[in-house]
Amino acid sequence: MSLTLEVEDLTKSFGRLQVLNHVSLAVAKGEFVSIVGPSGCGKTTLLKIIGGLVMPTSGVVLLDGLSPIQRRKEGYLGFVFQKPVLLPWRRLEENVRLPLEILDNRDYSSDDRVAKVLDLLGLSGFQGAYPRQLSGGMQQRAALARVFLYEPALLLMDEPFGAVDEITRSRLNFKLLKVWEEYHSTILFVTHSIEEAILLSDRVVVFSPRPGKIQDIVTVKLNRPRSPETLELNEFHDLVRWTREKLKIR
Amino acid sequence: MDQRKIKNQVANIGTPVAFFIVACSIWEIVVRAFQIPLYILPPPSAIFLEIIHQNIYLLEHTAVTLLEAATGFAIANLLAFGIAAIFAHSPFLEKGLYPYAIALKTTPIVALAPLLVLWFGTDIRSKIVAAGLISFFPVLVNATRGLRTVDEEALDLFESLAATKWQVFRLLRFPNSLPYLFSALKVSTSLSIVGAIVGEFVGANKGLGYLILISSYHLETPAMFAAIVAAALGGVAFFGLVTWAERRILVWQEPNEE
Repeated sequence: MSLTLEVEDLTKSFGRLQVLNHVSLAVAKGEFVSIVGPSGCGKTTLLKIIGGLVMPTSGVVLLDGLSPIQRRKEGYLGFVFQKPVLLPWRRLEENVRLPLEILDNRDYSSDDRVAKVLDLLGLSGFQGAYPRQLSGGMQQRAALARVFLYEPALLLMDEPFGAVDEITRSRLNFKLLKVWEEYHSTILFVTHSIEEAILLSDRVVVFSPRPGKIQDIVTVKLNRPRSPETLELNEFHDLVRWTREKLKIR
Repeated sequence: MDQRKIKNQVANIGTPVAFFIVACSIWEIVVRAFQIPLYILPPPSAIFLEIIHQNIYLLEHTAVTLLEAATGFAIANLLAFGIAAIFAHSPFLEKGLYPYAIALKTTPIVALAPLLVLWFGTDIRSKIVAAGLISFFPVLVNATRGLRTVDEEALDLFESLAATKWQVFRLLRFPNSLPYLFSALKVSTSLSIVGAIVGEFVGANKGLGYLILISSYHLETPAMFAAIVAAALGGVAFFGLVTWAERRILVWQEPNEE
């Protein structure tokens, strides 16, 4: 399931500090959009406003025509943070099932569905492990399993692979693509890494320094499914260079 | 691996036991060598004989004290946790009441004990209240902290799923508070016995506090030591019980392998 996201003329200030400056963005159903920009440019705040966790100073967010707060009780929204945020007292499978418990959703809680998502993320056999027994990469994959299991229409990912090492990050990128191709949610993905953004996305939104506003949007016309070979393509490198130029301007 | 584990356990139990035997031997030798009178410091052998001699009598009084302590402990901790849950959800109430809770906490239980006996009588009730009062605060303080210090992002996760306050409490705050809670409960076990004995000092005809007081009037120092040993062992047993429960409940915290 997926939806369209419309952000209209969004502005946010914390006291006298303006963090978002007239941001407008439309994301199509099933689209993968990344946001890159310097630290403190309001990317995280934008994600939190879209998720209904923070109220904007002015402007509107619509998810298929309804507000985030109206949408989230239906399980439309999924957050993935930089930390995996697994509950230490729950075993892996119990952590993955947590959203279904909160949403009181019994349709999605069949053992088959859980087994499928765990298998897609390479977590079969670890159902009974406690988070502290898992590596950082596995914990983040468990966080992905937790969010994909309830199939949110819109996934908001805030630098989800920012805290893992380079090799794990690359693996997690392809895992994410694989799972996304299976469930086809709309994804808004915040990252510091231009390479990561180009590899994953249909479009890359380049943010200016604070107060953040959209500086440019780069459309990525690389074939899907993307694979490690994508990283070798000249077009890929051109896009990375192009985006890097955009970030420097101003 | 297994053999090392057994070896470790033998060392864990054996080492303190060896120290105990050595300490008692020195004590015994010193008392005999300097001919210290029995009413000042009885040797370990005399205390041991006194315990054997009293047997059921000592056990009965120990049971009374432990019952008072455990009842006060249980009631106080349930109450403290309930109030902590309210505090965790209402900073207003916490701000208004917390200073008084701290003031009451810093009031020595010894100062309140005569009042408690006056209000609740010389029977078991005044001791339950004393034990409860003293074991109340560690749990109140720690449970409030444990219910409140939850991960910001975990709260965001729950909010993004439109979780109710009750779900946040049940699935996040409560399990998060358990490690804090147990460290307070362990402190409270010994405190509750202190409370019960202080209550017995003021006015009672049963319990270890009564036994200690009566023995001191008659200069029956070995009997006094026997009661002290019983109080100490009771405290250790109570502490051990809570530690055991903690291990059973907080399985996720236990290291994978030693």
